[in-house]
Amino acid sequence: MNALVIMIPLSLALVAGAVWAFFWAVDNDQFEDLETPGLLPLDDTNSDEPGA
Amino acid sequence: MTAPGDGCWHCGEPLRGSPIHVRVADISRSVCCQGCGAAVEWIVQLGLGDYYRLRTVTAPRPRPHDAGLDAWRRPEIARHVVRDLPGGQSETMLLIEGVRCTGCVWLIERALLGAPGVIDAKVNAAARRARVVWRGGAATLPQLLEILSRAGYRARPLDSQALDDARRREARDALKRLLVAGFGAMQSMMFAAVLYLGAIEPLDESTRGLFRWLGFLIATPVVFYSAQPFFAGAARSLAARRLGMDVPVAIAIAAIYAASLVEALRGGGHVYFDSVSMFVFFLLAGRHLEMRARHRTGDLTDALARLAPPYALRRCLDGALERVGVHELAVGDRVHVNEGGLVPADGVLESSHCRVDQALLTGESAAVRRSRGERLIAGSVVEDGPAELRVDRIGKDTTLAGIAALVTRAQAERPRLARAGERAAARFVARVLALTAVTIAAWSLVDPSRAFTAALAVLVVSCPCAFALAVPSAITRALAVLARRGVLVVRPDAIETLAGATHVVFDKTGTLTEPVLAVAGIETGRGLTREAALELAATLARESRHPAARAIAVAASDRGMSAADNVRSETGRGIEGTLGDRHLRLGRADFALEGKAVSPRHDDAVVLADDSGELALFRLDERLRPGTRAAIDALRAQGLTVLIASGDSARRVEAVAAQLGVREWRAAQLPADKLAWLAALQAAGACVIAIGDGVNDAPVLAGADVAVALAGGAELTQATSDIVLTGERLEVLAPAREIARETLATLRQNHRWALVYNLAAMPLAALGLVHPWLAAAGMSASSIAVVLNSLRIGRRREHELTAEPGAAVTPRSARAT
Repeated sequence: MNALVIMIPLSLALVAGAVWAFFWAVDNDQFEDLETPGLLPLDDTNSDEPGA
Repeated sequence: MTAPGDGCWHCGEPLRGSPIHVRVADISRSVCCQGCGAAVEWIVQLGLGDYYRLRTVTAPRPRPHDAGLDAWRRPEIARHVVRDLPGGQSETMLLIEGVRCTGCVWLIERALLGAPGVIDAKVNAAARRARVVWRGGAATLPQLLEILSRAGYRARPLDSQALDDARRREARDALKRLLVAGFGAMQSMMFAAVLYLGAIEPLDESTRGLFRWLGFLIATPVVFYSAQPFFAGAARSLAARRLGMDVPVAIAIAAIYAASLVEALRGGGHVYFDSVSMFVFFLLAGRHLEMRARHRTGDLTDALARLAPPYALRRCLDGALERVGVHELAVGDRVHVNEGGLVPADGVLESSHCRVDQALLTGESAAVRRSRGERLIAGSVVEDGPAELRVDRIGKDTTLAGIAALVTRAQAERPRLARAGERAAARFVARVLALTAVTIAAWSLVDPSRAFTAALAVLVVSCPCAFALAVPSAITRALAVLARRGVLVVRPDAIETLAGATHVVFDKTGTLTEPVLAVAGIETGRGLTREAALELAATLARESRHPAARAIAVAASDRGMSAADNVRSETGRGIEGTLGDRHLRLGRADFALEGKAVSPRHDDAVVLADDSGELALFRLDERLRPGTRAAIDALRAQGLTVLIASGDSARRVEAVAAQLGVREWRAAQLPADKLAWLAALQAAGACVIAIGDGVNDAPVLAGADVAVALAGGAELTQATSDIVLTGERLEVLAPAREIARETLATLRQNHRWALVYNLAAMPLAALGLVHPWLAAAGMSASSIAVVLNSLRIGRRREHELTAEPGAAVTPRSARAT
């Protein structure tokens, strides 16, 4: 039963952390456009970045 | 990587005559016209040649230079589309037509970011919007619009209100609610699993208590935060004295949650915190997909509502102009509209003449000429002006508002099937509540101590899983499967109607045929060569935006440019002007040959004439959209009757009908005629699918049982429709109907399963024979069965389609053939 003392708070903390992370992501435009970023790695003429 | 077969490298249209060559990455490519060639060169010159590698759909064909762009230079017009940010920056939201794939997004962003002064450009492909931020002094709005128009995209700035959109907040809230419910469902299931296992290997009471309260801890935010829209919806519909869809859902959620809480407090029986969390999660997932589909088309409808400008220039009695809000205008006011400005209210033109663009209302991109005494409609753009008009209809009475109201009404009248579903759900809830009451009453007489447990068992065993999930899981799956194939279902009701349809009515122009005309043949007289005739005609045609004129202008695009003087156009008839000392007329035979003999061979042809008579005759040809024949054959194979209703002349409609093997067609139909035909069909018991793209189709679409619009069509048409074909491919219709039928079959299976399960479980629960763990296991199994059954939708066909190499459904291959 001692395992429960650690596992339960841990699971609750994980859920809270995941919810917090998702809220942060939603509020920071991470879900606004799900298509364009997928194309960016294909762009090998990207000269904005040093060493690219 | 897209190689559009043997068509134009840029837009994919078939090549005609001798193609023009451009070099992309040291390989010579053929394009169909100068416009495309210029677009390709420009894109490559900007260093954006990668676009051709990234795109998945061919590009829109570039349009001739749009003179209306310069109007945005004026500060008073730019003011309500541009928002000033701190630090001298400006921000605007553009609605961009012609965004077809992520390659377009890439191109637009790069092209804008490459412009001087532009700080940020973000394109959202789904909403067809771009948010652009630039340094005030370094760039102007017209420059940005020009960049897009050179690449072939037509952009329209949206009202600055669009920048902080309520819809965006709604989408974010919905996503957060969904996430909370999802995590809650997972976590509470974990905790509940302990309790289920406890039925096999007994746990001590304190551990059981602990896990019950942990479930409560997780389910509480799910019920009070995630499920809040259901409670709000239920409250709204109860306030309106209706038993809406949300009412049983809200009762179910509240009942399971409250009952579980009571059980937890009593420290006995079984809690259902996991069920309530899962229930909320599944429902929200369905709602979320629905919302996304709604937003995609809603964005466009919104642009329509925002068209009316918020202010007007009113002419005072002393002749001065004053700026007033549109709501302050009164009937009889004189209003001044600057060039490039929007007409604020319906009225009669008092200045001598002007040209107005009513594209958003009519879908017809040609500007129309209006003379003194003619009517102007609110929401149209004055292309050359200024114009002075006397207001005769304002606010709700304007044509624009009338159309919007018509759309709203058509939408409000429709959901009879939804109401049937709601009634069924309401009946089910009523029966469950009745059975619960009977159970309580009966057990109170027999053994009062067991009354509560048994009532709870009835409520829980019956309510959530199978029955509530039967519809949303199937509809959600169907929406997702259809969306993947380029069929955007805006109103989920349409799935049911689509499956039961008996007739399909097609519009011809722009639906069965390509929206762009092409010159098919030139007959010349009086020793003129074909080239010379084309060149003369193009001189006039360049001045007009009528589709026929554009076809001639495009055919002559690589020939010398000479400009005509005194150009005057007459709407729907033709255009005239002088070239040197020659007076030329181009248009319908009765216009070009005014006062001279007109023979039947002139029907449907564009005639070029000078003062001494006919010079040349152009035959314009409509091309069928690729795959149209296959689409119609497939629909007919499903037993549907295919009809064509068109506003075009009988000869053309007959030609198209013959090509497609359609026996029943009607030509020269006004929107009212089409609607009457539709009503007659419906009166005879037909369930009609109507497919169209223009605004003249909007009333027909509103009256049809299922309205299908093409994504390239007029925005109003899309707003009226139930289904939007995003790929603009008609051949997806027949498979879509198959999927709709499959969905209904699955839905019926789900219902039947739910009914069997409930009929078996509820009496047992009422008799107090169902153990908590058995009820929970049965409930979970039944909900899993329903979800898995729903997931089968679209699977069978996907296998079939991938098995046949010829039947691949990607837009690419369809366009290349």
